[in-house]
Amino acid sequence: MFEHILSSMIFLPIVAGLLLLLFPATKSGARAVGLVVSVAVLLLGLKLYTGFNGAGGMEFVERQTWVQSLGINYILGVDGISLFVLMAGAVLIPLIFLVFSTKPKGYYANLLIVEGAMAGAVCAGDLILFYIFWEVMLLPIFFMIGLYGGQGKVAATLKITIYTIAGSLLMLAAILYLGVTYHNQFGVWSFDMTKIAALQLHGTAALLAFIGFMLAFAIKIPLFPFHTWLPDAYTEAPSAATFILSAIMAKIGVYAVIRFVIPVFGIEFTRYALLLAYLGVIGMMYCGIAAIAQKDFKRMLAFSSASHMGIIALGIFCMNIQALTGSLYQIVAHATSTGALFLFAGILEERSGTRKIDDLGGIASQAPIFAFFFAIAMLASVGLPGTNGFIGEFLIILGAIKFNVIIGVLAGTGLIIGVCYMLWMFQRVFFEKAKDSTAKFRDLSSAEVVAFLPIVILIIVMGIYPQPFLKKIEPAAKMQISSISQQVQVADTIVLEKGHKPEQK
Amino acid sequence: MTRDFYLLLPLVIVGAGAILLMLRAAFGKLTLDAAAPVSMCVFALAFIAQVFTGTTGHYTPYGSVFSGMLVVTDFTRVASLIILACGFFTSMSSQSYFKDNDFGLVEYYSLIAFSACGMLLLAMSQELITAFISLEIMSLSIYVLVGFNRRNVAGSEAVLKYLMLGAFTGAFFTMGTALIYGALQSTKFVAIGNYISTQGLFHSPALVGGAFFIIVAFLFKVAAFPFHAWVVDVYDGASMPVTGFMATALKTAIFAIFANFLMINPALKSSWVQYLFYIAILTMFGGNLIAIGQKTLKRMLAASGIVHTGYLLIALVAVSADHFSGNVILFYLAAYAVSTLGIFAALSYLTGKGEKRVAFEDFKGLAKSRPYSAAAITIFLLSMAGIPPTAGFMGKFYIIVSAINAGQVTLAVLGIVSSILSMWYYLRLIINMYFHEAQDSFETEKSLLGPACTLILAVCVFAISFYPIAI
Repeated sequence: MFEHILSSMIFLPIVAGLLLLLFPATKSGARAVGLVVSVAVLLLGLKLYTGFNGAGGMEFVERQTWVQSLGINYILGVDGISLFVLMAGAVLIPLIFLVFSTKPKGYYANLLIVEGAMAGAVCAGDLILFYIFWEVMLLPIFFMIGLYGGQGKVAATLKITIYTIAGSLLMLAAILYLGVTYHNQFGVWSFDMTKIAALQLHGTAALLAFIGFMLAFAIKIPLFPFHTWLPDAYTEAPSAATFILSAIMAKIGVYAVIRFVIPVFGIEFTRYALLLAYLGVIGMMYCGIAAIAQKDFKRMLAFSSASHMGIIALGIFCMNIQALTGSLYQIVAHATSTGALFLFAGILEERSGTRKIDDLGGIASQAPIFAFFFAIAMLASVGLPGTNGFIGEFLIILGAIKFNVIIGVLAGTGLIIGVCYMLWMFQRVFFEKAKDSTAKFRDLSSAEVVAFLPIVILIIVMGIYPQPFLKKIEPAAKMQISSISQQVQVADTIVLEKGHKPEQK
Repeated sequence: MTRDFYLLLPLVIVGAGAILLMLRAAFGKLTLDAAAPVSMCVFALAFIAQVFTGTTGHYTPYGSVFSGMLVVTDFTRVASLIILACGFFTSMSSQSYFKDNDFGLVEYYSLIAFSACGMLLLAMSQELITAFISLEIMSLSIYVLVGFNRRNVAGSEAVLKYLMLGAFTGAFFTMGTALIYGALQSTKFVAIGNYISTQGLFHSPALVGGAFFIIVAFLFKVAAFPFHAWVVDVYDGASMPVTGFMATALKTAIFAIFANFLMINPALKSSWVQYLFYIAILTMFGGNLIAIGQKTLKRMLAASGIVHTGYLLIALVAVSADHFSGNVILFYLAAYAVSTLGIFAALSYLTGKGEKRVAFEDFKGLAKSRPYSAAAITIFLLSMAGIPPTAGFMGKFYIIVSAINAGQVTLAVLGIVSSILSMWYYLRLIINMYFHEAQDSFETEKSLLGPACTLILAVCVFAISFYPIAI
């Protein structure tokens, strides 16, 4: 089992989820299965984390031939980049099973399936394998929103599904194009990421393939202007699905850009980095301003999440070590803070029966522990020094200023918007006078306190002492950055050689 | 000679089974319920025979006796396997269908077997007259099957439409055969191939015209644009299992002979590639537009069948005539057959008395009362839409890889755009089944075979997906 630690992290939850769907089980039974399996995955994850030595390369590699004639292999592996996305999922998902105790069986089963599929997408080292997991992780979300969502669930489901599938099918075309090009250049079929990176691509076709990839990931992240599905889906989805979408799945979009786009399309990526960085900044400010105007509590958080994804995306487009490390750090930081916030939103909605900010108020006096925990998650999301949000955003802005001063300044000032909507919302919901819906607001139970405590501690520890985490990220980030500059250098020498040729004649 | 019969054993078994069923029916010795298992046995036997009568490579039975009429290759063998499996599952689901519908007769199964005979012959034909005869054996049985419910007005309309247009097709085919014979004094594929490679395709106008007529006939039968208009009405009028059978087995047989005919000579194929290119695009998008507007399931599935024909045409364009390997086409046909048969098998028992549940709205809330059936239908729909890890995804994957590999990047991208469009009508049914409250209790007559058939096919969707092929 321990030679196949990644496979177990992927297929244990998927198989458990499918079995739950196929066989009758009570709600509490399903929840217990979910809890046990997700904790098992967490333990496997911890073992992985401690065994990871962080030299910068792929570790825990598993390799199995699948479709030999087309060079499709079953390849799994983690490096410093995927490790943190993987761990974010493994740490956070058991929380859902702890917090939500009375949901139907399908709810828990779908959660397990999505957990496994996301782990698969993060660990996949073969483009086709990645694509399969990428699509599979959408299906449980589709069913969760459609089955357990709010009022406008059908429209929201259709929107997110068709939007993301359209993006990912175009990515499929790009993946296949890469495979065929590899076959033409090297004479063998392969979709292995480490080999595909050796491809020499240029011209319109490369640009189109680049767009195919970027579109899929931009929709998933979501990058402005592809964010329109997000407010509806996040608002209508049940809290656990919103949690998954915002805390982990959006991060996989960012991760995929780092893993699949940068090594192959370094030249196109460098050329369009400024444009993409602007999109990130615009998205950050636009969604932040939209968040201020929201009346619905969950919708506000949705916009806030989109706004933060803008700055995380910005970090990768700046193409230097500080910003990239910051992005990776912020991926985990944002997963913990936003994930916790959406779970709190779920609790808030269940106990007060409303999501309207105007109908809420005075919770802090009724439920001080809840308010305290909420405040920590909120301050981390805002980026207060001493929380993990600060480290990530600080590094990203540092890198952004190095990359382009205007973008750095815009990103820095944009953070203020986040402070505005968050603190204003906190004031209206937790202070002021108690309304009817919050007059008898029940505080967190001790079980819930136990569930949230590790997250809160993680937020603070990561904020005060980031070094051990950064140490695991940095080697991989360095490798990515050097891979870009190498590609650009190679491209430059090609151009130079071409330029010299007429002179030689 | 013995070897010839050995190679044709599956065909012999199905033919004998068909005659047996017909005779038992005539003497009233077989009940309707018992006829389905008999028919299933016939198909299963033939399937096993087909698996074991293996040759590797290219072998021509009747090469000496009947002057090269039939050929057995790996391609035709797999095509025959698909056809036989379609017959098996259609018989299986028909049994459940006739518990809710009262027009069943034992002859029905006999006709299924007869049409399968025609299809098997057609897939193996290497000669135009043989192809014509097998085409007619197949079509005549299918005409009767389409109009099997005599009291149904829509069925009668469908059979009339199909018969008239089908007769035209037959005439086109004969016309093409006559022209080719006039040009070459032969109707054998081999002779046509030799003639083209020595004289060139455009040496004889009669040959070009003849090939044109024959290809039009094939395009009509597979419902490619602009010959697709009949499909929606005919599929709608036919009874559920028959529609499933037509959509899968018939398409397999026609695509097999179509591929065999086009691959006679590279010159013939390359002269048609650019037309097939446009036909494929129009077929996909035309089919999508028709499917998006449909209100009933059967019509939607019929229209989506047009779209799948479009994908198969992409594969036809992409495979090279020099070293023809039909793996891509066959894999897609198998993947498509499994999911289409599956959904028709499920609908065979879910539609209830006299096919009363037909519209998308009628299936609201199915997941609550019949969760397993709804899950199976979801699997089939996802496979048709090409979502991994189903067979439909792998099929589409192979087609698109071979298209890009053949330099047809435009066609590959358009194929993908078309499958984005098709998401809408597949998702629509899933949304109706899962996300709405039930208005119906979905009571049906108790039957075992239909649900069992659905279950097996749902498993097959995944089994085929993980079975790798060589392109």
